[in-house]
Amino acid sequence: MTPPAIMSNNSTEDKPKNAAFRVGLGDITPNNLGQLKRLNTVLFPVVYTASFYKNVLDVGEFAKIIYFNDVCVGAVCCRTEVVEKSSAQNLYIATLGVLAPYRRLGLGSKMLKHIVDHAELSTTPSIAKIYLHVQEDNEEALEFYKKHGFEVTEKCENYYPQFDVKDAFKLEKIIS
Amino acid sequence: MRELPQKEANLFKQILKCYENKQYKKGFKGAEQILKKFPEHGETLALKGLFCNHLDKKEEAYEFVKKGLRHDLKSHICWHVFGLLYRSDKNYEEALKCYSQALKIDKENIQIMRDFSLLQIHTRNYEGLVDTRHQLLELRPQNRQYWIGLAIAYQMMGKPDSGVKVLTAYEETLKDIPTKPDYEHSEMLLYHNSLLEEMGDIQAAYDHLDAIEKHVCDLKAIREKRAQFLLALGRQQEAEAAYRTLISHNPDNFAYIDGLQKSLGLGNKSLTAEEEAIVVGMFQELQKEYPRSNAAKRLPLRYASGDSFASIADEYLRSMLRKGVPSLFVNLKTLYSDKTKEAVIEKLALGYLAALDKSKGFDHSGSIVEPPTALLWTLYFLAQHYDYKRESDTALGYINRAIEHTPTLVELHMTKGRILKHAGDFNSAMESLNEARELDLQDRFINSKCTKYMLRADKVAEAEKTVILFARADIADPLHDLVDMQAQWYLLEAGESHLRQGQIGKALKRFHQVEKHFAEFTEDQLDFHMYCLRKMTLRAYISLLKLEDQLRSHQSFVRAAQGAVKCYVSIFDQPDGVEPPEMEGMTEAEKKKFRSKQRKAELKAQKEAEEKKAQADQELTKKGGKVDEDPEGVKYTKAEDPLGEALKFLRPLQELAPERIETHLMGFEIYIRKNKFLLALKSLLKAIKIDAENATLHEQLVRFALAVKKAGSALSPAAKTVIDKHWNDLYKGQDLAAVGNSFLKKSEEQGSVPHLISAAIASSLIEPKNDKAEAILFLMADDKYKSTRSLESALVAQKTLRSMRSGRVSEFRAKAAEWFPKATVFQSV
Repeated sequence: MTPPAIMSNNSTEDKPKNAAFRVGLGDITPNNLGQLKRLNTVLFPVVYTASFYKNVLDVGEFAKIIYFNDVCVGAVCCRTEVVEKSSAQNLYIATLGVLAPYRRLGLGSKMLKHIVDHAELSTTPSIAKIYLHVQEDNEEALEFYKKHGFEVTEKCENYYPQFDVKDAFKLEKIIS
Repeated sequence: MRELPQKEANLFKQILKCYENKQYKKGFKGAEQILKKFPEHGETLALKGLFCNHLDKKEEAYEFVKKGLRHDLKSHICWHVFGLLYRSDKNYEEALKCYSQALKIDKENIQIMRDFSLLQIHTRNYEGLVDTRHQLLELRPQNRQYWIGLAIAYQMMGKPDSGVKVLTAYEETLKDIPTKPDYEHSEMLLYHNSLLEEMGDIQAAYDHLDAIEKHVCDLKAIREKRAQFLLALGRQQEAEAAYRTLISHNPDNFAYIDGLQKSLGLGNKSLTAEEEAIVVGMFQELQKEYPRSNAAKRLPLRYASGDSFASIADEYLRSMLRKGVPSLFVNLKTLYSDKTKEAVIEKLALGYLAALDKSKGFDHSGSIVEPPTALLWTLYFLAQHYDYKRESDTALGYINRAIEHTPTLVELHMTKGRILKHAGDFNSAMESLNEARELDLQDRFINSKCTKYMLRADKVAEAEKTVILFARADIADPLHDLVDMQAQWYLLEAGESHLRQGQIGKALKRFHQVEKHFAEFTEDQLDFHMYCLRKMTLRAYISLLKLEDQLRSHQSFVRAAQGAVKCYVSIFDQPDGVEPPEMEGMTEAEKKKFRSKQRKAELKAQKEAEEKKAQADQELTKKGGKVDEDPEGVKYTKAEDPLGEALKFLRPLQELAPERIETHLMGFEIYIRKNKFLLALKSLLKAIKIDAENATLHEQLVRFALAVKKAGSALSPAAKTVIDKHWNDLYKGQDLAAVGNSFLKKSEEQGSVPHLISAAIASSLIEPKNDKAEAILFLMADDKYKSTRSLESALVAQKTLRSMRSGRVSEFRAKAAEWFPKATVFQSV
């Protein structure tokens, strides 16, 4: 189930040594959908609908679960959107998250890189751009996406009407 | 009239061939053709019957075979055919009689003799088998099978030495022994060796290994046997070398390492400090030599003690927690029989948790940052550790922290369920297991576990829905697939759940299904008697025969038998069905009213159920399924002699599991109800021999004494003498009240709740209408009973109070709720 493992060992003289660990991406299937639901419940305040989870099973490489030492600790889910008067499509990152104890270990970057790589490779249809929304005050997330080449293109007022912080930024990365 | 004209005689030969080639339809037609001209030809009639049997026409089969026999009583074919017919119906006794009749007529018929020997070994008639095998060998001395068949017959009747003589004689007749190892020859030689070992002549067996080695394929067997024999012969140094070689082939084989230890003279159960150091050293060397061997890392924990244990355990735990090995606790809990080791492990694990929380390492040195999963597995380990100690709240604290840390891990929810189960909250336990199941729908293990927890919560319908998710979907009745697949765990859990709910018929149905599986296992060996001789898989065949002889001592059969005996005893005690708890404390008039009301409701429900079933059956038949005529198991509850049925389950246990005290405790329950006083006494004496201190035993002894007293003159003087003699041996003339009092005193000294319960039951029987029994049960509230006050024993105590019609049930319930705050059974409604 878990694809080839990678070992990480960032030892330097003055920093404590990190013990080795394994990371791998896995498919989302009807059988482990329960794990994705559990992750999303813990990670995001939004309740996702049945159609959201149905779509997840249809987007292939654009929805993935990430394993840390064989334990499922994070996931990314995207959907493709038709662009008017174009054969290309846009890719929208609906969710990307990692359980709190497993952050700052490069797992989010690994998932995002996987999405970008596959968007660049995709030909049928080709992907025009990847975009997403981030709550206005979520600086950590903003920094994370900027680091990976995303740019703020728009401020969407009252995008999250149900939350205290209602405004969001729209971030984009042009692919082709 | 047996001789047929040429044409028909040829035809008759053809239909015999048809039978051998399993062309039953063609053979049937041929037989009819002969019978047209010679309607009274006995052998043809018999064969026609045999064909009918294979074409699913059972009644006609017997009719024709018997008719054939009547017309030709002197034909061996007719008798042989009759035997085959009985055999196919598993009536081996009659089949054996027919074969033996056939052999009287045709003394040298190889085919009949072979069939005869097959059933003789199947029915374990070894005396007869040796005879038949001798004759076969005399008729066909050039055939290896018959030599070996005779040797096996001798071995099974307990004469391996005669078996060896037969094999030696056969080996001497061999002119050209295959130069290259030949599997069949090799197996025969190894079988020969096993006979020498069974004779106890280890030196001869050892020498024999040298002689046969160059002809043997299974070199591993040779090496293992050699090491084992060297050890038995006391040739330590050579044994050591032999075991070291074996370890180099498989450094994870516990038996090899055990052998090495013994060859070094360190096999004793208790080791001196010096010996312990040597053993630990031995394992250190092995670890160095075989760094990937888990056995070399795990086994020293068994032998080390004190500081040495602490340091080995520390290293072992760290590496396993870092790696994330879910089975770590299960692997270590056997060490907990040593309380100091348990304490050391607890201290280590708590230390890791504190350090991981603070500095992300297993210690505070700050040199290594462990992966986040290390914290997760440490929490998981601690939860299991405290669950094992039945400190449910502490365990729940750890498992909840673990779930908060990583909510996606299936094992965590399973363990949470287990903790809740142990705390007595079966519904929440089931919910936790269902959460675990939903995380991984393709895992059959978690699906089955979840089913089991549903049954523990007596949610049978939900359990059925869950378990069939992994049954075959393409058959009409997927639930029956579990019976066909011999899924005994499910049948046992379901049966026990029905029993708890008072659904005796349904419960018995399940227990009988398990019993039937065991009958099938016994039947299955029939195919192997011939096959194994032909294929020469002799060592495996002998171990199969020995296994079959012990089959019903298996835990699954014991559980089924215990369940079934309880059911049949309850049918005997309450022929109108089990009284529901609502009926407790009602007067007879109220009971009558309640019953009639209930019966009306039942009738209505029954009608609805029948309509529903008729519809379901129709659909099932359409899909080609078989309709269950008795889903409620009514035929079992209507058994004419329930105690006789119970005995059928008990007898195999008396024979195969006499070392289990439960066997005799169950035996007592049956015999005392049958007024078989001597057999009841025999059960008691056997139980005393196993464990005189057993709690239930006291209650049974008192019941026995009272029953004997009540029987009075109905008891024969001879029986009375025997009983009195044993009673005097046991109690030296004390009267019952004194017996009860001294037992109670001892129970209090021991601080044991099960003994207290037994004392209370006995007291309520010796002195009824007395609140002493009640008072005894309430003693368990004292703190000195804390360690033996399990959830199960509290439940039994409450049930006992109820059956005594005590007015203090709710008072007890409130107390039990304090001891087991999560247990739903004690919560007030």
